[in-house]
Amino acid sequence: MRHRNIVWFASILSILLILPVITDDAFVLRIITEAFMWIGLAIAWDVLAGYTGYLNFGHGVFFGIGAYTTAILMMRSGWSFPFALPAAGAVAGIVALFAGLPTLRLKGAYFAIATWALSRAVQQVALVLEVTGGPDGMRLPPFLNPKFFYMLMLGIVTATFLLYWFLMERASFGLKVRAIREDESGAMALGLNPTKIKIQAFILSAVPTGILGGMYAYWITFIDPASVLGDLVTDQAVVMAVFGGLGTLLGPVIGAILIFLFKTYFWAYLSDYQVLYLIILGLLIAVSVIFMPNGLWGTMTGYAGARQALRKGLALNPPAGNDTEKGDKSHE
Amino acid sequence: MLLLLPQAIVDGFLIGGIYVTIAIGFSLAYGVMHVIDFAVGEWIMLGAFLGFYLNLWTQWDPFFLLPFVFIVFAVIGFVFQPVIHRVLSGKKGNPLLMGLVFTFGLGLMFKGLGLTVFGFYSHSIPSALSANSFFLESGSFFVTIPVIRFAGLIYALSITLMLHYLLKKSDFGLAVRALAQNHDAAGLMGVNAKRTSSYVYGIYVGISAMSGVLIGCIFSISAQMGGDYTVFSFFVVVLAGMGYLSGVPWAAFFLGLVQSFLLIYFNPSYTLLAVFAILYVVLLVSPKGMFAKGV
Repeated sequence: MRHRNIVWFASILSILLILPVITDDAFVLRIITEAFMWIGLAIAWDVLAGYTGYLNFGHGVFFGIGAYTTAILMMRSGWSFPFALPAAGAVAGIVALFAGLPTLRLKGAYFAIATWALSRAVQQVALVLEVTGGPDGMRLPPFLNPKFFYMLMLGIVTATFLLYWFLMERASFGLKVRAIREDESGAMALGLNPTKIKIQAFILSAVPTGILGGMYAYWITFIDPASVLGDLVTDQAVVMAVFGGLGTLLGPVIGAILIFLFKTYFWAYLSDYQVLYLIILGLLIAVSVIFMPNGLWGTMTGYAGARQALRKGLALNPPAGNDTEKGDKSHE
Repeated sequence: MLLLLPQAIVDGFLIGGIYVTIAIGFSLAYGVMHVIDFAVGEWIMLGAFLGFYLNLWTQWDPFFLLPFVFIVFAVIGFVFQPVIHRVLSGKKGNPLLMGLVFTFGLGLMFKGLGLTVFGFYSHSIPSALSANSFFLESGSFFVTIPVIRFAGLIYALSITLMLHYLLKKSDFGLAVRALAQNHDAAGLMGVNAKRTSSYVYGIYVGISAMSGVLIGCIFSISAQMGGDYTVFSFFVVVLAGMGYLSGVPWAAFFLGLVQSFLLIYFNPSYTLLAVFAILYVVLLVSPKGMFAKGV
């Protein structure tokens, strides 16, 4: 089973790697590059929300901080892009550390409120500061090489995905965050330090988001508070993860691809009704929560797992010892 | 600069009054349903626009329209609450987490709805009271009190008193307080949890919408205003201590003061940053609110 997953992963990756060699179509490359970016944003949000159980309603702020860090370092301090990009991730991580210190000790609602307030505050400040260019935004030197951005985005998102996959599905860190999500005092009784682990997960979620923001700034070459700090980044990441399936790695990927395709189509053909888009996003969240709390991927694998269990006869007389482990696996 | 100090304080109190009403409703809904409603700002926005259009059609003063706005939105909230209840009592996943995501999605939907129907422009609701203002002078100090803001404070006080009476003196209030204290035990004592929660949610939505109309009279309204007021409501409730109603007025007046001081002495663009900074410090030092009586 695991062998088959690796084959799938390798073949998809190799197709994506070959793609820029066989096509020169800038439009196709651009669309796929942006799809990568949204996949990265959705899985980064899900690491904190789905695996750890803490909702970050200000995810876009880390994206924006990454974008502005890159832009400011490149334009005002004259750094080159390879140095500015890691700095974007570092700054996002530091902000996450400080924002998480008081809020992650508390119940989830406080964290959701504080991140929401943080994103609003940063939005407002970016509009008035001089260094960010205020509402006019910032321009970066154009570097018009779609293939470079395609490969870099693919590399960063794949690396993020593999890192999350290793930490969440293979390493003990994934078990720790899940223990905290299910029962925080129980996790504490087992000798875990929930606050520390939650802050680690928050930073783990913020750093790739910041790096993606930096990439976005250099790629699009123009950023302003509305485009990188606006609520839309958060909103879309939330929809993608919730619709695809919280607490799984593949769920947000699938959600991101579907929602991104829908968004691209919608904005290309129905741009007169742009504001309707927000209604559809909100409706998707509400409907997913009510009818599909495990998301698209969770529901699909849930059915597949049930069928498999039936075939093996496990559903008829489940072995007592294996029960919890089985239940846990079906969530993945 | 010192000359403006009385003005800043008075302004803060006058604005704070409105936040009291919003935050009490919000706190009440939290106490009973144990979920933070991320759509609170959008209810305010929708209420404000209902008031705006009613005012446009009927030409009545917004103050006479308040009861009507309240009834419309109370009914909407009452009808809507079972959906949230269903999410919160779900067996799959983590219901509280899902409740937060759900209200977030709801807020997003309402915002989209507002932008679609009302457009991007800012409006303000004209009231006969906006024209006049009191002028107090004592030595070199002076204070201007716009009548509309004063009326807002009176509105806030009367709503607060009514809610106080409802909660402390009536059987319904007893049921609400029992539900907030212990959901299951209240059910065993014969409190209809579902029905009572629906009423509370209806009252909360109605009050938020009504306060939106007042905000429209005093400041301005736009379809994008919701997010800021959501932050303000959170701020007041967290500062007061989640679920601790008696702390709400102090926290709300404090928010009003922060807002008016930034407006007069500094740059209002930093209001949300100041709000976040205070929120941060409070969560760091005393997460249970200023009075350490929250949950």
